[in-house]
Amino acid sequence: MFRFYFLSSILSSIANHQSSINNPKMRIIVCIKQISHIYSRTGMDPEKHYLALEDEVFRINPYDELAMGMALHTRDLAGEGEITLLTLGPLIAEAALRRCLAMGADNLYQIDMDANTDPWRKSGFLARAIKDIGADLVLCGKESLDSRNGQVGALLGHHLGIPFVSCIRDIVMGSDKGSLEVQRSGGRGLREVIACPLPAVFSVDLNAMDPPLPTYEEKKRCRSLPVRKLVYDRDTFVSKYIRTRTFPPRARPKTIPSPDSRLDSHDRIGELLSGSLVEKRGEMLTRDPESQVEGIISFLDGHGFLEPKKATKE
Amino acid sequence: MLTSFDPLLIGIAIIVLVVGLSRLRGSWSMGQDDDRPGDWKGLLGYLFGHKKILKTGSSGIAHILLFWGVLFPLIVGILSQFAFTMPLMLAGLLSFAGDILGIAVLAGVVFFLIRRLRIKGPEAPGRVVFPVLLLLIIVLSGFFAEGTRLTITEPAVRWPTPAGWIFAAFLPSSPVLMQLMVRVHFFAVLLFLCTLPFTFMRHLVIGPLNVYYRRRGPRGELRQVTLDKGPVGARGVEDLTWKQLLDAQACVSCGRCEENCPAFISGKPLSPRKVIREVRKQMENPTPKLLENAITGDEMWACTTCMACVEECPVYVEPMDKLIDMRRFQVMGRGMLPQEARPMIRDLEIYGDVNGKGLAHKEDWALNQGVPHISRKSLNAEILLWVGCSGAFHPRYGETTRALVRILKAGQVSFGILGKEELCCGDSARRLGDEERFLELARKNIASFNKYHVKKIVCLCPHGFNTLKNEYPALGGDFEVIHATQFVMELIDQKRISLKYPVAKKMAIHDPCYLGRVNTIYEPLRALAGSVPGIDLKELNRNREQAFCCGGGGGRMWLHENVGDKINHLRAREISENGVELVGTACPYCLTMLEDGINSLEMEKPPGVMDMIEIVDASLGRVY
Repeated sequence: MFRFYFLSSILSSIANHQSSINNPKMRIIVCIKQISHIYSRTGMDPEKHYLALEDEVFRINPYDELAMGMALHTRDLAGEGEITLLTLGPLIAEAALRRCLAMGADNLYQIDMDANTDPWRKSGFLARAIKDIGADLVLCGKESLDSRNGQVGALLGHHLGIPFVSCIRDIVMGSDKGSLEVQRSGGRGLREVIACPLPAVFSVDLNAMDPPLPTYEEKKRCRSLPVRKLVYDRDTFVSKYIRTRTFPPRARPKTIPSPDSRLDSHDRIGELLSGSLVEKRGEMLTRDPESQVEGIISFLDGHGFLEPKKATKE
Repeated sequence: MLTSFDPLLIGIAIIVLVVGLSRLRGSWSMGQDDDRPGDWKGLLGYLFGHKKILKTGSSGIAHILLFWGVLFPLIVGILSQFAFTMPLMLAGLLSFAGDILGIAVLAGVVFFLIRRLRIKGPEAPGRVVFPVLLLLIIVLSGFFAEGTRLTITEPAVRWPTPAGWIFAAFLPSSPVLMQLMVRVHFFAVLLFLCTLPFTFMRHLVIGPLNVYYRRRGPRGELRQVTLDKGPVGARGVEDLTWKQLLDAQACVSCGRCEENCPAFISGKPLSPRKVIREVRKQMENPTPKLLENAITGDEMWACTTCMACVEECPVYVEPMDKLIDMRRFQVMGRGMLPQEARPMIRDLEIYGDVNGKGLAHKEDWALNQGVPHISRKSLNAEILLWVGCSGAFHPRYGETTRALVRILKAGQVSFGILGKEELCCGDSARRLGDEERFLELARKNIASFNKYHVKKIVCLCPHGFNTLKNEYPALGGDFEVIHATQFVMELIDQKRISLKYPVAKKMAIHDPCYLGRVNTIYEPLRALAGSVPGIDLKELNRNREQAFCCGGGGGRMWLHENVGDKINHLRAREISENGVELVGTACPYCLTMLEDGINSLEMEKPPGVMDMIEIVDASLGRVY
């Protein structure tokens, strides 16, 4: 049963591929990850690593948003195309997804399953969905803001058996119709231009194609657009590994470089160059005044500021 | 006096006048609905007082001469057509006044003609010269007719017509000349009436109409828009309200908005006068085009919404709200917000504050300050302190917030804050054209106010103050809002706090636009300065209604200033020329902009910039 299904999906993907070459309309799929993001530690409970659940922010992975911008750019290059958003797991950031949809996408697919799983299994299901929907180009973010695995794109290429290019910054049309030329960024400012036949998977790095601001008309259209659900057998792919424990990051306040405006320009430039942030080491003494005084005394004592008590002579 | 043919001519002239005016009316009736009650009392006070027009100095005086000089003889002339007897003395006095006013009109007309002919460029429309010349002909022919009549009849009583006798000295006693001048006078008046709707003189009708329908609610409230009907904001002129279109017709192109616009003064392409002129051009165009074709993005985004143009306009034209409507269409209809402001809008979407630090950190400033949340049971709070994004996150303005907390504690005021439930008020988003974001934020904030049964709110930031006070009531907010400077002044008046220590000797006050011009709160700042011992307050040249903007309002805080001079540098230079050692203001944007501006001057001893709240706190002495 399982094998038959798998075979049929491969056949269908080939059929889809065939049609894509005849069809001038470029089909682009953008894989979007919804993340829940706690950016601060204002909680009181050490067990929960001082994270407070009410500070949770639901958004879509910023790199995936860049991938959406790249998809729009590619559609403009191709002249005509259809952009489909694909997400996996429950719709925790539906508002952000619909905003992304309003940037100019046509459909939104959701794979109905638990998102808390390893990249192998995730990319397996995504690849299944991509085969079912049919695509000439698959775009995803370089990595996600929460786990930073950066594996899903590569594994998608593996599952689909098509080329994968990571960290692309720009796309131009290739010499023949079925290929694209992409610029990818390596480390240390290295740039590579890669000619790649379609279909292909690209993961998108920071680039100059800013995702557009959706207009109100588009937002209104996307408010009621149905989410197409894809349901797959949960055992089709098995996790390769299991995450046993996570240590939530030590959340820091988001800081922007803002030099003290009362300084003169020379000092402000110096402050900016040095990062304009002062690392504060120390301990906040709270509770009642008596315990605060005790805290101060024990600090002074511990750091040798106080003279040790001499035994009184009698 | 009249021949039988003349009533026909008068009738034709009046018909042409009425047809012309009704066609003019058609030009603004295509606008959207706007419920505007009229105001007779205000209109009469405006016309007979002439206070607003007289602000311009010489041309204001010329205008009042013309106004009375045309109106009074007109009334006398119409009355004299009816046969009734009046005492000779009264008739003589009327004649005398008419004569004197005739001279006044002559002076006024000559003044305006010379002024108009001297102006070059697009601001000197020829349609102004024609009616003014016509007025000149009317006045001169009137005097010539009177002069010749006097030489012919030689009346015994000479005093009621002093000007007539001057003209009579040079004129022959020829009945033909008199008849000719009477006809010229008569035809010129008819021509003036006929052409009135088509020339500059339409302001005789539309100006008062615009004053009659002028805004009477709070000036800081922007027009409400319905999001789901048609384009949001102004795509073309037909999306503006009829009152906004009437504004465009009422403009007399005097240029006072331009002379006071900080964007125009600092060399930006924006001119409020041009905005109004372009709107009128498109109204008169049979196939109106898009407004963005006539008014470019650079112009639209240069506005700091300081309301100097609205304050200065002699006929209550408001160029600002048209710019905001155009911005609304750019952002919500086209998705064309300037690149540098987009992160701010994204931060509002995701984190709920303009600084993008997140609501989770909104009460970080209050750590160990003993500032209670409004929900605390035992508190029974007198007021809610609205901290605002700058108050909570801006490293410099946070000091002001803490200063206010010290003052409130010294005055033993029971207050609370909303903490993490306090979202951005939405002012910047609304003024940048993102109405959707504003509505979302405002509704959430109003829900929090209702949740805690808030009755009185003290705002630290004038922008938040304006939004909460003037814009939230339309969305269902029901609470009293006062500004921190007003509240602290109340505390001083009630002797709940007393100020002991001197802070500075010579001090100036920079009026924030959103406190001063928009909400007409000038006195508390000065009263606070007066209650601090040892302060010698020096008023800046441009203060109160004429205060120059710092350049940070209307979302300009998040936009780059690439064209022309920097507005805050201009203001900083003006302040530094006054030789003060301290500038007091009451707005986070003004504080930041002025500090930056003054630092950029690199003076030996730059004046310090402090919020009035900080000055009071420094004078109070630290309360630990």
